[in-house]
Amino acid sequence: MVEVTAISRPRRWDSPFDPALGDDDIDRILAAPMFNGLDQSRFPPTLSLREIIRNDSRIDRYRRGDIIVRNGDYGNSVFVILSGRVRVLIDEIPEIGRRPARRRRSPWRLFSQLWTNPPLPEGRAVDAWSPSAALHLRRESGPVRAYLPEVERVIAGHHTIPLAEGELFGEIAALSRTPRTATVFADSDCELVELRWQGLRDIRSRDDHLRAEIDRRHQDRALRAHLAETPLFAHLDDDTLAAIAAETRFESYGTTDLFSAFDRTDSQAEAGAALANEPLIAEEGTYLNDLIMIRAGFARITARLDHGHRTVGYVRQDDLFGLGELVEQWRSNEPAALRCSLRAIGYVDILRVPSPLIERHVLARLPADRLPPPPPHPASRPASLPAWQARDAEAGLEQSLADFLIDHRVINGTATMLINLNRCVGCDDCVRACAAAHGNNPRFVRDGPALGDVMVANACMHCIDSVCLIGCPTGAIHRDVATGRVLINEATCIGCGTCANSCPYDNIRMVEIRDRAGKFIVDRETNAPIRKATKCDLCSDQLGGPACQRACPHDALVRIDLREQDRLAQWVRR
Amino acid sequence: MGASVTTFLWRRIVHSGITATLLVALLVVHHLNSVSLHDTQFLTGWVLVGGIVGLACYNLRKKVPVLPLASAAGWLQVHIYAGWLTVAAFFLHTGLRLPRGPLEVALWTLFVLISLSGAVGLTLSRVLARRLGEHGERPIFERIPTLRADLARRVEDLALASARDTLSITIADYYRSELHDFFRRPRHRLAHLTGFRRHLRHLLDQIDSLNRYIDDRNRDTLAQIAACVVAKDNLDYHYALQGTLKLWLFVHLPLAYSVLPVAALHAVLAYAFAGISP
Repeated sequence: MVEVTAISRPRRWDSPFDPALGDDDIDRILAAPMFNGLDQSRFPPTLSLREIIRNDSRIDRYRRGDIIVRNGDYGNSVFVILSGRVRVLIDEIPEIGRRPARRRRSPWRLFSQLWTNPPLPEGRAVDAWSPSAALHLRRESGPVRAYLPEVERVIAGHHTIPLAEGELFGEIAALSRTPRTATVFADSDCELVELRWQGLRDIRSRDDHLRAEIDRRHQDRALRAHLAETPLFAHLDDDTLAAIAAETRFESYGTTDLFSAFDRTDSQAEAGAALANEPLIAEEGTYLNDLIMIRAGFARITARLDHGHRTVGYVRQDDLFGLGELVEQWRSNEPAALRCSLRAIGYVDILRVPSPLIERHVLARLPADRLPPPPPHPASRPASLPAWQARDAEAGLEQSLADFLIDHRVINGTATMLINLNRCVGCDDCVRACAAAHGNNPRFVRDGPALGDVMVANACMHCIDSVCLIGCPTGAIHRDVATGRVLINEATCIGCGTCANSCPYDNIRMVEIRDRAGKFIVDRETNAPIRKATKCDLCSDQLGGPACQRACPHDALVRIDLREQDRLAQWVRR
Repeated sequence: MGASVTTFLWRRIVHSGITATLLVALLVVHHLNSVSLHDTQFLTGWVLVGGIVGLACYNLRKKVPVLPLASAAGWLQVHIYAGWLTVAAFFLHTGLRLPRGPLEVALWTLFVLISLSGAVGLTLSRVLARRLGEHGERPIFERIPTLRADLARRVEDLALASARDTLSITIADYYRSELHDFFRRPRHRLAHLTGFRRHLRHLLDQIDSLNRYIDDRNRDTLAQIAACVVAKDNLDYHYALQGTLKLWLFVHLPLAYSVLPVAALHAVLAYAFAGISP
């Protein structure tokens, strides 16, 4: 008999947001305007409103001037003001701790790294830092918080919007996992209910009023701008975009985080069974009523094969599903069925744009050469094939590789480091180049999960859904607006380790730093070593792109955006 | 990131074509010089010096990875094909004759060795990297001694526990006489490089033959030891192949550094004695 280790199946509420939240706190939250109007009878006994509040919310207390959310940061929660006032600040000011734009080093500074890099690991020129010059931090009983020392001056000098007790903010970023669009700070000592996105989603799905209100806000604030940025709608005027936005439905699928089933599928049979846990968004063979746009998250495209489903590909944020079939339907004037199914991997937000709107405003107006070709039938030219038919696939990934990338959640990467083991001779030129570009400290490990000849190295993938960005108290880890890279501003990193603990791929390392003489740097008050979060920054201050890729003499290493499935397939098949 | 991917076959065709064109050009120029009664030795000599210096620049590029000097893969391609071209220039220069005099012998020997080591290294890079994928997960070279020590400790513990708990000496004896040395250090490097697996079959047969002398509890122990033997053999395989991939550079690079001053001295002497017939 095969030996097994039995554990309790992980459940959604194994880790409440705040285990210390008591009944009195829950009563206070339920008495708040946003919650006291909810019809509790619409919540099933297994998912009562009280239990949602108990497990998915917490009460945060802020002092006047504390920064609650920061413009550009990522968040996964929404806030309701329980007591006190807050202000929304649109402008960017130095006091909120925004990092300076990274400047590339001059060729001479690049060259001089060869002899100026510190000889010992993690050496830093701390004199060059001015961590507290702009950013002010304080800690009392709770976590470390950044604050504005001169609230009055900020209010007087900048455009701010006051929000009072009972009001809600942060819902768009929480639901669509997009960056916060403004900074919010406490205008008085205040208490806020912070509700995780899972709780917000459950409440929203059971309360028509709240759903309508959030959808209205979403349409007003985010959806129209999002549609305008979508290439398919780029030629449309504001009125048409508004008409499309009014008809577009925002839907969510999936019950788990992207990473909750991460790396748990060990066999092909298990992988096949895993599909059963991925909710169906659109089913192969059904007729198409909408164009599906992925707003946030990831989804797997599958096609039937005998009694199972093979993975054809995947889609992620900003990708479209069903456009090819819509074009076919419009051209032939015959209803077209979906060639493939779409399944939610983890939690997915989608937008459904009704097909008549697409036909009227998009297909009828776009030149024929800009329309996508009808999708090939899976049996004739699929995007991916089972491994045993791989030789038949002139383009596209093998199914086993597509499954591997999905099962290990590698599809999250925009600059994933892949190594072709057929070419890699283990010379470590990539590691040495990385070290040379980062003060003699390599920022990745040339090791990681592999399938066949393809290895995914342990290097920051600069994820599209970057959970490491959530919860940084100072905003030190951030996404660069110009390049989309996830970077860490060492001057404002306080070494709390939130990002490193959040990264499901273990690609962020906490290190104890030294001065140029090699002595460890310690905190003046506690004498504890100063720690910093470190990771791959794609050589953002170097010239010529990632040093690792440029240094590989055998063309074995590539940094690749996993959205580019064609390029990935070409790279694998070289 | 973002550019289309060129297949290795297409790249090989293009680069071979360019190299062949340059070679033909060199032969034509050499022939024209020859029929116009110029001394072709100086032409081929300078082509050779230029080639050697150019080839050495690849190592400089590797030393400064932080400068945007194009990709190392591009440099390696130039290094490989320029290397073939330089070999052709060498044969034109020497006229397929054996060298005379100590300096010429030294230079000739160094060049031949560096060319051979380069060709062998290139072959190893392509062949061994592919073969490494055939033996399970590829461990990082520097971690192999630690992994090997872990396996050795585990097998020793199993052997000692077998003797202590079951009062059976078969496994412990076998461990002392055969396995202790096997686990102590990397073994069978040549067999791994050449692809022979007889040593492993021999060890596993020996282990299997012990089954008739032991009880059920020890059979389980023996199965675990056999698994460790296979794991250790895989580590040896990776150590042998990865080590060879690192080692060949220690042959190629010193030769490359030593050929430069000898070639320079040869050029100086060639000009110094240019007007003197032998």
